[in-house]
Amino acid sequence: MSNSGRQLEIGLTDNTSDQRTPRNRLRLIPEIVRESFAPCIPQRGLSRQNEWDLTRIAADLPRAEGVAIEVSGKLQNERGTPISNAMLEIWNANHFGRYRHIEDHSDIPLDEHFLGTGRVFTDIEGNYTFWTISPGAYLARPDIGRWRPKHIHLSVSGGGSRLITQMYFPDEPNNASDPMAILMGDDFERNVGKPYETPKIDVDSGLRFDIIVGGRNAVYFE
Amino acid sequence: MKPNTQSDLLKPTNEDTVGPYFPINFSDPLLEDLSRFESGITAQPQGDPIILKGRLIDRFGELANGTLVEFWQANAKGVYRSPKHEGNSDIDPWFWGYGRLRTESGEFEFKTIMPGPCAGRAPNITITLFSDGISRIVTQIFFADQAGNASDPLLQSLSHEDRAKLSARHEGESDCGSKIYTIDIVMAGENEIPFFDDLIREGE
Repeated sequence: MSNSGRQLEIGLTDNTSDQRTPRNRLRLIPEIVRESFAPCIPQRGLSRQNEWDLTRIAADLPRAEGVAIEVSGKLQNERGTPISNAMLEIWNANHFGRYRHIEDHSDIPLDEHFLGTGRVFTDIEGNYTFWTISPGAYLARPDIGRWRPKHIHLSVSGGGSRLITQMYFPDEPNNASDPMAILMGDDFERNVGKPYETPKIDVDSGLRFDIIVGGRNAVYFE
Repeated sequence: MKPNTQSDLLKPTNEDTVGPYFPINFSDPLLEDLSRFESGITAQPQGDPIILKGRLIDRFGELANGTLVEFWQANAKGVYRSPKHEGNSDIDPWFWGYGRLRTESGEFEFKTIMPGPCAGRAPNITITLFSDGISRIVTQIFFADQAGNASDPLLQSLSHEDRAKLSARHEGESDCGSKIYTIDIVMAGENEIPFFDDLIREGE
């Protein structure tokens, strides 16, 4: 029995987490108003023709530097129902570990052929696929030598499903010291892509990343 | 047959921080202003346009820059645009009720219409924050001058002090005549506002 909500934890060595994590326990939502907390996201997103392929800025331009990978998986809710027509917004750093984001002021090089953002939609069975460049790890806290491990950001929105997460890479040396990975504990494994071979397509390797959107929001709309 | 007991549920992918670099090029101006429909169309959402001006504030009183803010609200007649209410004649065809913006500085201006009261509720907007350092936190904000606040079940579940923190104040009108409401969303520390747990149910 719980009479109060979760106590959010603060990421070790993460200054922003210290600044922004609520210190009070989350409050329980009275059952009678619970449904009002479940957003339903309209299908408004758009995607350009080549956005599934982040390895190129556009189809007529050269491929970016680094290792081209495919990422694919199935999007489901926790009851195992596929979530179709959901939008995945994807962003990752380039081969060297730099974002082409106006607020990333690091001196790591940009790649003139890498944008690093794209949007794809799940099909009727909840499946998605995109290509990107395997991102570089980067030094997040030079003062203490703490790195951000290789990761790809994914934001899922569709109907009653909303999730922002990151896919990590297997056997990376910096995984163990990542503040968010530490908070996930044993569950971190679920956020690591599973390698597969890609002999027939123009990428070096693949990573399977099945996404389960948790929470009870979706049940209001089934 | 679908699994339906707690133990049959699939284990969810962990939520993770959005980080500091949510792509600004994913912004959609239509999600930042719900008081209008797409341009070039003779259509207008029902209700009174309002502007919600917010400041996201961290534990040290600094603005929480680079935060993704999402909004969810009922239409002017108090009906949410969800499949559950499909076919309801009070659905406004020109109003979705879902908004999203990324604030560079930590201050935001969200244009929308005043939500109507749903059964037993005072007008409110659900606000979800995604930012560097946290995964996702959720709250609901109310309007100080609207009827129904005194009997709203969510507000009633809170102390007087906490209720006040979720109450946006009416502070003047815009040039176009929209009422302006302001709210400080203190994420952590002294004056921290209440955030709610939408994963755990009472008694679980």
